[in-house]
Amino acid sequence: MAEAVIMPRQGQSVESCLVTAINKRKGDNVNIGDILFSYETDKSSFDEEAKTTGVVLALFAEDGDDINCLETVMIIGRDGEDISGILPQKPVEAVIDYPQIPVSDVVAATPFQNGAYTNTESDEIKISPRAKNYAGQAKIDLAKVIPTGPNGRIIERDIIEAVNNGYRLYNNETLPGGYAVSPLVNEGGSELNQSPSLAREVSRSDGGSINDYTDVKLSNIRKIIAKSMHASLSETAQLTLNSSFDASIILNFRKRLKDLLPSDSRNAEGGVSYENITINDIILYATAKTLKNHKDANAHYLGDIGVIRYFESVNLGVAVDTERGLVVPTIFNADKLSLNELARQSKNIIKEAQSGSIDPDKLKGGTFTVTNLGSLGVESFTPVINPPQTCILGVNNITRRIKQVNNNQDIFYDCMGLSLTFDHRALDGAPAARFLKELCANLENFDLLLAK
Amino acid sequence: MPKSQFSDPKELRNPGWIKFTDIPVNQYNKTVAEVKQIFTKDDFLRIYHDMAVIREFETMLNEIKTKSVYNGVEYNNPGPAHLSLGQEASAVGQAYCLGIEDFIFGSHRSHGEILAKGLSAIDKLEEKELDDIMREFFGGVILKVVEGKEEIKGDIKDLAKDFLLYGALAEIFARTTGFNKGLGGSMHAFFTPFGIYPNNAIVGGAAPVALGAALFKRINKKPGIIVANIGDGSLGCGPVWEAINMASMDQIRQLWDSEHNGGLPILFNIFNNQYGMGGQTRGETMGYDMLARIGAGINPEQMHSERVDGYNPLAVIDAVSRQKEILLNGKGPALLDVVTYRVTGHSPSDSSTYRSAEEIDAWKNEDVLQSFSKKLISIKICKQSDIDNIHAVITSRMTKICKLAIDDNISPRMDLSKDPNAISGIMFSNGGAKHPPSADGTLFTKEGGDEISPDVLIKKEENPRVKQLSTKERYAFDQDGKPVPKAKQFGLRDGLFEAILDKFYEDPTLIAYGEDNRDWGGAFAVYRGLTESIPYHRFFNSPISEAAIVGSAVGYAMCGGRVIAELMYADFIGRAGDEIFNQVSKWQSMSAGILNMPVIVRVSVGSKYGAQHSQDWTALTAHIPGLKVVFPSTPYDAKGLMNSALNGTDPVIFFESQRIYDIGEQFHKGGVPPSDEYYEVKIGEPDIKRQGTDVTILTIGAVLYRAVEAAKILEEKYSISAEIIDTRSLVPFDYNLVIESVKKTGKIIIVGDACERNSFMKELAANITELCFDYLDAPPVAVGSKNWITPAYELEKYFFPQPEWIIDAIHQKIMPIKDYIPTTDMTEVSKINDMKNGV
Repeated sequence: MAEAVIMPRQGQSVESCLVTAINKRKGDNVNIGDILFSYETDKSSFDEEAKTTGVVLALFAEDGDDINCLETVMIIGRDGEDISGILPQKPVEAVIDYPQIPVSDVVAATPFQNGAYTNTESDEIKISPRAKNYAGQAKIDLAKVIPTGPNGRIIERDIIEAVNNGYRLYNNETLPGGYAVSPLVNEGGSELNQSPSLAREVSRSDGGSINDYTDVKLSNIRKIIAKSMHASLSETAQLTLNSSFDASIILNFRKRLKDLLPSDSRNAEGGVSYENITINDIILYATAKTLKNHKDANAHYLGDIGVIRYFESVNLGVAVDTERGLVVPTIFNADKLSLNELARQSKNIIKEAQSGSIDPDKLKGGTFTVTNLGSLGVESFTPVINPPQTCILGVNNITRRIKQVNNNQDIFYDCMGLSLTFDHRALDGAPAARFLKELCANLENFDLLLAK
Repeated sequence: MPKSQFSDPKELRNPGWIKFTDIPVNQYNKTVAEVKQIFTKDDFLRIYHDMAVIREFETMLNEIKTKSVYNGVEYNNPGPAHLSLGQEASAVGQAYCLGIEDFIFGSHRSHGEILAKGLSAIDKLEEKELDDIMREFFGGVILKVVEGKEEIKGDIKDLAKDFLLYGALAEIFARTTGFNKGLGGSMHAFFTPFGIYPNNAIVGGAAPVALGAALFKRINKKPGIIVANIGDGSLGCGPVWEAINMASMDQIRQLWDSEHNGGLPILFNIFNNQYGMGGQTRGETMGYDMLARIGAGINPEQMHSERVDGYNPLAVIDAVSRQKEILLNGKGPALLDVVTYRVTGHSPSDSSTYRSAEEIDAWKNEDVLQSFSKKLISIKICKQSDIDNIHAVITSRMTKICKLAIDDNISPRMDLSKDPNAISGIMFSNGGAKHPPSADGTLFTKEGGDEISPDVLIKKEENPRVKQLSTKERYAFDQDGKPVPKAKQFGLRDGLFEAILDKFYEDPTLIAYGEDNRDWGGAFAVYRGLTESIPYHRFFNSPISEAAIVGSAVGYAMCGGRVIAELMYADFIGRAGDEIFNQVSKWQSMSAGILNMPVIVRVSVGSKYGAQHSQDWTALTAHIPGLKVVFPSTPYDAKGLMNSALNGTDPVIFFESQRIYDIGEQFHKGGVPPSDEYYEVKIGEPDIKRQGTDVTILTIGAVLYRAVEAAKILEEKYSISAEIIDTRSLVPFDYNLVIESVKKTGKIIIVGDACERNSFMKELAANITELCFDYLDAPPVAVGSKNWITPAYELEKYFFPQPEWIIDAIHQKIMPIKDYIPTTDMTEVSKINDMKNGV
């Protein structure tokens, strides 16, 4: 009687195991106790021993394959035996089988490795057939879609919204770089102004008793932020490094520019017109330049498809506090822009974001995000990463501090704090710290950076 | 009440007495010897022979039902067999008097009547006629089975006997070579070329149908009489009383013109076999003591009622002959109480627990075959050997027929695996004709080929309403898009009127009747003006007898005529339940497509009048296979659908709504075409009344206008673009338009005024879910009336779907709408609770 050898489940939380070595192949004789194959989880390595004698009649895995637990790895029996009854059944429930993806018999028993959307929460997501079809075509990550249908059902408009927000799992048609984007970023602190058009207020009053309160229905953007931020904190391994630098040079630089700047210079024709360059623009500029040396920090961690994607260009997300809530527009190719150009673009997108007129394409595609709470007096905070980005930089306020200079003299200087949150799944502490250190150095020597 | 008839209080309040005349009870007292001069030897022997055929036929079926073998032929017949053993003389005596042009309608126990009438027809028809009938019927399929196997070789009449017995038996055994291809069966078999019209498995069902056939004969001046063969048990059935009363209505003699007046030629012939299944009519379930008494209550002629001894064929012949003469003289209707006895049970499974063996034996001792043959021998009409010879031939014939009828190769059953549409394909005749095809082909043409012109009173263009309508605006809006004043608008009722009037001037067989149709103009004025154009016999007021109205329409159509029957309120459908659900819907199928059923049943959905006058019962009628169901809601659609229905050959339940009889055409560009431009709206095609992109609203009936209001609110307040589709027809229904719309919008809400549970909205919702599942963004939602009684007008907004309910449903079940505050609770919890409580 032929028997199927399955991938054992090593603990409740283990979904799949990596096959490290196949020792018995199709046609090989097997005796009880023989090592059939070796495999490992993230914690340990194991050998699977044969519990029966016979011949390997079929093999469904190769070295290096990630096999879902309880799936058949091989079948052992007598030569010529009918094994049709115990062949692995397809497809695996966790795989959503979109029609665009060809399914060959061979791969049917294993999860799709490329391009397929694997939704491990499929049982929990309520979605209309129409929305599901559309999501399949648009390759939308359902986990990020905010349901607005009855009883928490995802309906068509939610997918349209997700498409507009760029919640694509994978789309090499609409974005030039061929990278996945998921721009809703965030930091944790900004208060949102609820627009009356987005919320229905339900007021309750018992004639002035202490139980007076107002229920404000969640707006869509609030729901999106809530879901995205919660997902970030629950699914990534993020931590924050705090550092600071002497801001004297950039403050002087800024002052000089401001003094030079006639009120109408931006409209001047002919010669160079300088933007009103802000401290934030200077930090954006330094960040973009510094990231060129730290590819770990300018990356996406794509655990679903098992890769970290490093980007050649720096697309900076800029967190903007707007009437509708937090919006994060992107400055594309920020590393290639002059400070003046960067400042111009920064002003434009912030204005567009605040007026709500921004092109949805500018709300996606970020590779690194900068969020600034310094102007609100924040000294230090823990920004929340917008996955799949690996880092977010928080900009703090400027405080007066004392430091010792060469002649052991204590001097006051203007100190500016930076808080870098990074995803430890994607990079380790030292490279993150090195990036932060170099950034601080570049800001302290901003004139030299400009000269580079 | 027409103005010509004066209700005189003086006369009505005068004292006096109603006098009855004596009703004869078994007064026939002639002996066989005394009538020796009237009947020839052949006549006597034929009477005996025909009774013996019935006896053997029923005995054969009894043997097969109870022992699965007859004369060595083994067979199991699972179907019904309600035998008439003991009733042979009453059937043969009647048939003896009837010609081919006389039609009989029967019951579930009518094998004997079929055989008796068939044998009588064979005797009366010329050989050539017989040969033609057999050759032409179903292309000679039945003839082919029996041809060359007759007992007397080369004898057409003998062959015809085989043809009759085989056609009937094959029908009983559900063979395609049966008279109705096996679709009628034991209880419904018939053969119109011999004047044998459908038998009816619903007790008393034949009475109103036969009334319609009698109307057909009278109105179209056709020869012959109608016999409704019903049982004593059917005297407990309302529709039978309705038919008897309507057949007797005064107007036919007092108000119809001289060419058409006179009593209806119909004999209510009641085979009084003492039992309605097991209920003993005399002494237990009825109070008439003697059935013949009931004639005295119907009209001054007492329906010429008589009791006759059904165990004496000569007495029956005497009575039926006299009644037939009365009917042909325009003195109908007539009634016979034919005393007889069913010696076997109601069916073979009946163990006769309700009667004594002594009683059965007493009747067996009176056996007609034995007593009649003894008499014939005693007065030397024939010898015992003649009698024996008759039986020998019959037994031989019956054994042969039985073998043929059970042979699966010779007598196959319908092969529904090879031809899955064999039954569905004949459910509708889908004919489109100026007038229905007539059975004899001569109805509409005079000699020389000229068409008979319809009876009308004035030229169409002289009709006062036609003149009035010529001044109306046929589109609800003027050139600037402003609404035309209501009084100037050509309304929905006008559209119906035009279509109907046109057909009255085209189809001479078309008649229309119902309650308050004529002088009143129909309760809702659709028929106003028709009285001026159409004579009484084509357009009349019926008694308040919904069963008889629809049942008679069935009989009228069966004979080749076209009828518009009107029931006033849709709520009265219940009063015509059997006639709609079992009669008008089924005869095209049960006849294997032989019969057409061009009957329009107009019903009107009310409002303002509470629980019994406000119901949309589309779902009840749409549930029944064989009915077409339409519900137009605009003048253009109403006229177009009425034209289609009037030009068709299928039964159409035509729903109308009292809310919108006066509404003008708001959708069809250019309005309703001019009266001389004929057009049809095909039955089964829905119509987009408003284009939209975000959500589809599918409407049934008058709720269309509330959907339009909802669409306006959705557009103006919430920027949601609703597409509105009017179903117009429910059966048949082409889903393609709806599928296309749902592909576009992904969302659909189905609205109608019927109570939501089991409504046609639910049917549409279920089918759309099935057909559009992958395109749906939410389950289709049905919004109907509440599942309670219709309350008073002032509370109707809590009962009938309102525009806000449509938006509520979209908001709560399909797609929550920003800033919308619903007016009703459509949550799942409340729905589950309602259903739990039977609401």
